[in-house]
Amino acid sequence: MNRMILSELVEDLPPVLRTGIRWELQDDGSLTIDVGEEALPGIVDHIQKKYHSWLISEHALDLRPKGGEFQLIVLLGLPKVTVPVIIRANVDIYASSFHSLTPSVPAANWFEREISDTFGLTPNGHPDQRPLVLYDDWPYGTYPLRKDFDPSRPVPRVPSEYPFRKVEGEGVFEIPVGPVHAGVIEPGHFRFSVAGEPIINLEIRMGYTHRGVEKLSESLPYHRGVPLAERISGDNGFTHALAYCQAVESLAGCAVPDRALFIRTILSEMERLYCHMGDVGGIALDTAFGTGAQMAYILRERLMQLNDQVTGSRFLRSASCLGGVRCDIPVDSKKDIQRTLLQVKLDFDDFVTTIKNMPSFLDRVETTGVLTLENARSLNVVGPVGRGSGIDRDVRRDHPYAAYDQISFQVPVYREGDVWARTRVKIDEVYESIGIIEQALDKLPSGELCVPLGEAPEGRTGLSLTETHRGECMHWLMAGKGQPYRHKVRDASFLNWPAIELAVLGNIVPDFPLVNKSFNLSYAGNDL
Amino acid sequence: MVQDVLLNSLFAALQAVTMFALSPLIIGIIRKVKAWFQSRKGSSIWQPYYDLAKLLRKDSTMSKDASWISRATPYIAIASVGVVALMVPFFTTYSLGFVGDLIVVVYLLALFRFFMVLAGMDAGSTFGGMGSSREMMVSSIVEPTMLLAIFTMALITGTTTLSSISYSLAVTGPDLVRPALFLALAAFFISLLAENARVPVDNPATHLELTMIHEGMLLEYSGKQLALMEWASWTKFLLFSAILANVFFPWGIATDLSALGMAVGVIAIIAKVLVIALAVALIESGTSKMRLFRLPNLLTESFTLALLAVMSFYIL
Repeated sequence: MNRMILSELVEDLPPVLRTGIRWELQDDGSLTIDVGEEALPGIVDHIQKKYHSWLISEHALDLRPKGGEFQLIVLLGLPKVTVPVIIRANVDIYASSFHSLTPSVPAANWFEREISDTFGLTPNGHPDQRPLVLYDDWPYGTYPLRKDFDPSRPVPRVPSEYPFRKVEGEGVFEIPVGPVHAGVIEPGHFRFSVAGEPIINLEIRMGYTHRGVEKLSESLPYHRGVPLAERISGDNGFTHALAYCQAVESLAGCAVPDRALFIRTILSEMERLYCHMGDVGGIALDTAFGTGAQMAYILRERLMQLNDQVTGSRFLRSASCLGGVRCDIPVDSKKDIQRTLLQVKLDFDDFVTTIKNMPSFLDRVETTGVLTLENARSLNVVGPVGRGSGIDRDVRRDHPYAAYDQISFQVPVYREGDVWARTRVKIDEVYESIGIIEQALDKLPSGELCVPLGEAPEGRTGLSLTETHRGECMHWLMAGKGQPYRHKVRDASFLNWPAIELAVLGNIVPDFPLVNKSFNLSYAGNDL
Repeated sequence: MVQDVLLNSLFAALQAVTMFALSPLIIGIIRKVKAWFQSRKGSSIWQPYYDLAKLLRKDSTMSKDASWISRATPYIAIASVGVVALMVPFFTTYSLGFVGDLIVVVYLLALFRFFMVLAGMDAGSTFGGMGSSREMMVSSIVEPTMLLAIFTMALITGTTTLSSISYSLAVTGPDLVRPALFLALAAFFISLLAENARVPVDNPATHLELTMIHEGMLLEYSGKQLALMEWASWTKFLLFSAILANVFFPWGIATDLSALGMAVGVIAIIAKVLVIALAVALIESGTSKMRLFRLPNLLTESFTLALLAVMSFYIL
């Protein structure tokens, strides 16, 4: 199926685009196309229009130490195909610029600004050339992901100010919020332009938690990348680590034992469960319905205690390792999980009935922060946010990993795109997750937990996608000598943040925290 | 005559001191009840006292852009609430009613709000400004509602002095009860929620600056000044509860100087205030906050109720 569609895709390219490209179908069925940098926007635009593809990632790598140039990698997802289309293009070292995809693919916006920040490659034709991930006082001409950048030396600071978009007019005010907030929240700056209470423009400035994860990973042996991946974004540590492990395993061609695959599935869903509980509770809390919020928070606490019982960590830390998992689920753990989940399901029913029958709550969440399907598609919004706007995609179903191909489950999709739709997606997913865990426990095969990784040949690339509770998470690796040569991480938040700017338009300022909560994005995962 | 003035002044002072002393406790009780509903233990009901004591020991920090308004507002707040406390009957009808009637009471509270709104904008923080503009939006409807609701009682009893209203109702008994009383009571209760920044109008427990009304205006205050502002606001809540209890249901309040009457008065007012606090906690546990632009609906409803109360007095 994959091969058919993909080879057809190449055959179908119009002759103008086909000249000068080389293509190859890999063993795993994925398609790699090498193109000239100037042809890239044309080809991507063509595939997007004809096959309704979406942009999984656009990133660069520095191949100069290997005698090459800079390389751009564009990963496209296609409907009905389980593997991505990989398009590679070399960027000339001296020109240090490339043709921007953003005018035809809006989702490429932040990716290209990130490339410009970290590699110093200018996206020509990009409508917004301001920095994105680095601090405002980062010196011009210092590009941290180039191979000649030395991370051990401190970087001099050059004070400068970020040019925010200005909205002017009578009665238009700017409201700067953050980066330091009143609650225990991560740092991010929100610049509202308002006319009275309605929001007429919002600009989100990220980057305050940029820790250089990708650069750091390039200096760590593979096994030490696992704890690093766990710490990319606090609450979905397991799924991030899983994505990293899968990527390394695909580099080394390591076959993970069946039992480990099932345990990975179970732990991924346990993570989704406690995160979703926190999310739906948070939405109730932000409408000032503390009683309801606590109902969900109690369940979250119970699930985290279950995590602790099963893996020894409330956040499922250190449960994953290359080639398998580090913790087993013996019979008594299995019983603990089953018993707790049964109770959680019943109590969650109570919570759901309570909020569904509460007019004052529904009045707050319905029609608030609508993200239209059109906007969601153009920004390639992923996860529950996308599914709340009608995008029927879920990595677990569409690109099955771990043991998801052996388990049946539904992917809830709602069309309204408001806070309530996103909340309902999460509520439905809680039930699905419980179902997935129950099935996986029943089918749990016996066998080994972990196998040795094996050798990862230098220069090989590996890609892995997982579905965190925020949506599609990607880890892309190119193997170096016993450690990654390049490690690209893309959290779901990176795709979803720009969508908030669109979802809040026309809403009133006091509804923003609620809209933001319904997206519940990670700052650290976005900034890396 | 002089004796009367002295006696009234004595009891007025006593009642005002009691109200200031009790107001943190009432807030503590509301928080405790809310915590119970949320299956939490919650902090001790004495916590507001500890908070006050802590804040009073601390220094205040002032924005360099702040003018004398920010510095004066905490004192204006505590002073205006203090004067109102002298004029509102609490456990006895002996109070400084002869100094000013309900119009003075309402406008002393308006003075408090006026300065708090100015102070919100004074320090130049965005959240303060937002809080101020929202507060004015809310109060523009709440203020007339409150006046109308109490006017209804003034019409029924034929006096505009709060303590005399209590006195005549308490002495005359159920003969004076009209349908208008209940309409006005409902209207006044909604005003109580709105004036004291409770759910569904405002959320006193939030940390989200963008949604704040009352808290937004206080964001720039710290230390002793914050203590005064908080204490004034808490006492304002107790004042509203006392007006609700003693103007609409004054039965039990002490109308003479007998020890028994006084004892009954104290017990009665404590019971009534606890019932009101419980009602507020129940509402806060069972509803979400309203959207800001739906608030005018709720507040106009309460205004309509108050208007109906006045009309029904003449018609029925």
